[in-house]
Amino acid sequence: MTTGGLIALSPLIVLAAATVGVMLVIALDRDHKRTAALTLASLVVALLALPIAASATTRQVTPLLVVDDYALFYIGLTLAATFAVAALSYSYLENLAGQHDEYYLLLLSATLGACVLIASNHFVSFFLGLEILSVSLYALIGYVRTRQACIEAALKYLILGAASAAALLFGMALIYAELGTMDYAQIAAARPPPGSADAVLLLVGWGLMLVGIGFKLALVPFHLWAPDVYQGAPAPVTAFVSTVSKGAMFALLVRFFAPMNIHAYPSLVVVIAAIAVASMLVGNFSALLQTSVKRLLAFSSIAHLGYLLVAFLASGALAVAAVPFYLVAYFAATLGAFGVVGARSGPDGDADGFEAYRGLSRRNPWLAAAFTAMLLSLLGIPLTGGFVAKFYVGLAAVQSAVWIPVFVMFLSGALGLFYYMRIVVIMYMRAPADQPITPAASLASRPSGAVLAILTLLVVWLGVFPALFIEIIQTWIAR
Amino acid sequence: MSATFYLLAAVAVIATVLVITHTNAVHALLYLIVSLLAVALIFFTLGAPFVAALELIIYAGAIMVLFIFVMMLLNLGQAATQQERRWLDPRLWVGPAILTIVLLAELAVTLSNTNRLAGGSVVGPKQVGILMFGPYLLGVELASILLLAGLVGAYHLARRDTRRERGEKPA
Amino acid sequence: MSSVPMAHGLLLAGVLFGLGLVGVVARRNIVFMLLSIEVMLNAAGLAFVVAGSRWGQADGQAMFLLILAMAAAEVSVGLALLIQLHRRFKTVDVDAASNLQG
Repeated sequence: MTTGGLIALSPLIVLAAATVGVMLVIALDRDHKRTAALTLASLVVALLALPIAASATTRQVTPLLVVDDYALFYIGLTLAATFAVAALSYSYLENLAGQHDEYYLLLLSATLGACVLIASNHFVSFFLGLEILSVSLYALIGYVRTRQACIEAALKYLILGAASAAALLFGMALIYAELGTMDYAQIAAARPPPGSADAVLLLVGWGLMLVGIGFKLALVPFHLWAPDVYQGAPAPVTAFVSTVSKGAMFALLVRFFAPMNIHAYPSLVVVIAAIAVASMLVGNFSALLQTSVKRLLAFSSIAHLGYLLVAFLASGALAVAAVPFYLVAYFAATLGAFGVVGARSGPDGDADGFEAYRGLSRRNPWLAAAFTAMLLSLLGIPLTGGFVAKFYVGLAAVQSAVWIPVFVMFLSGALGLFYYMRIVVIMYMRAPADQPITPAASLASRPSGAVLAILTLLVVWLGVFPALFIEIIQTWIAR
Repeated sequence: MSATFYLLAAVAVIATVLVITHTNAVHALLYLIVSLLAVALIFFTLGAPFVAALELIIYAGAIMVLFIFVMMLLNLGQAATQQERRWLDPRLWVGPAILTIVLLAELAVTLSNTNRLAGGSVVGPKQVGILMFGPYLLGVELASILLLAGLVGAYHLARRDTRRERGEKPA
Repeated sequence: MSSVPMAHGLLLAGVLFGLGLVGVVARRNIVFMLLSIEVMLNAAGLAFVVAGSRWGQADGQAMFLLILAMAAAEVSVGLALLIQLHRRFKTVDVDAASNLQG
């Protein structure tokens, strides 16, 4: 590996060093505040290393990783999202008894896994990044191990996750058996004549890989874990699962399939379109029936990944810019929504039922306003980031004539009006007189309050002045 | 050579069927070890002696011992005594023993044919090592982070509660 | 190896993979589910070694080694969760331990 390669890898090296560093600091002495501060500081250092990495002359570091502008954009997004999660976690964990230091260690290793996944250029790094992310997440989901729901959610995620990882590996093995290479570019270049036995084996391989990818993205036949894990996991971890883990996998999906021109394989396009339509329908209709905020957000997230797949199916310059914009808007709104859920939670469990939010506007108007902004953005109301993102995806899909998915997207998306607004209405209703008032100090302590304020501003800013951000995306990705 | 492969494949499949149908966990584990032994021999016939050895040492050795260890931790009291009594029942031993004898015979046949096999495409430990510590070096380092995450996660999840977590005052 | 067609090696891996999948879906005891996952991962590793021997490359074996590392990490976390579940709720059954709806 050359010096240029090391420079290009610097954000990942900072993360790996931070993981080990946090471990050593914990070994010396446990102090929640110090561990959290160290974690936040190392994430900032990793973010500052991004321009340095961008100046590197070597972008292809060993056959495994490629640190191009595309990768750096998503690594930056991942690091920023992890920063928000870590700040939200600090306030959340302060309310709980027990040792919190390992949490940050696992959070850093999970982030490293996500970044490797984004920069991967080879099956080996794909698999390793995915597994570092997954194994860290198993432990993070079950982190509050005094809660039964946490342990159960972690076991469910582990068993389904390991089974789907095995399917992914089997698919990779079939592709490798057929083509003799595990490098994305060479896989994309090799194109056996359609209908031959070779093409069939390749399609089976891609199908099995889609199982593994679909599991991480919680797309419809593989979404069964999502509601339980969202509900059982601690709120900041749910935010991480919903944003960083899904975003990294989606970035990989685009990188893996984009050079291949999936439209040369009609059966693959049909399968992906069917998955997208099913995810939008199941996500939106099931969300209507939920009585738990976290489960509702789980189904809404399934629907959102369906919308993203619509953008993935659409080809062209618009689609290339639509995916990152959608992901940023989705990240901000989802992190904010789970941040509010986390801020409303006490030592006994997360605030999950709708009743926990009744009359929130009176007791804590700022929190209620932030939650309203997040939900409206997820719904896609004008003047929020979610609206511009959805509009963009729709435009890209119409331009590429992906008619049925885009039709389903707007019709089923309208259902969001009912389930998101239900929470908003409850927040602005008068609280029953006999309800005990939660002490205000535990509602939103300083770090999570600051993060929520920034996220709210971001959601609104993306909706009102999207042009600046679109320009950033176009200089970083679409060149 | 090919007859060996199909016999080994048959042993592996039969043992695996017994793994997923058996009700006794320790017994299923024994069958899984037999299945792993068969797969290790298949690796050997495929010209991959290095991973054949690792399959035995790490899979059949370390990971399965981890399973046995946890089963022993969980089977406390009355259930363990019954388990112990059932262990002495010879019927439980017959199945794995027969399959293992088949494997042993195959091992003898395979080893006596080793010279012939080496003429084919054997990918030895040296080539694997050169690949792992050359182009895949970053992969090895990432695998260490993966094991670290597994270690820290397992440590945290299996740890007993501190006094504060049990809701008592710290001593 | 030349006497055994690659398709048969992949077929064996496929059969073992399917058996493991059946085990994960059909069993309710978490110990058996974890064992079945080991079967599936091992089958994927077998497929990689078969594929590697087809091309005479070391890549398949290298991937198997990494799968081994991943299986170890995965199973240790799974067993740790199992110990915690047993300590708190005296069960290793998925159905008995399912307070979550759905």
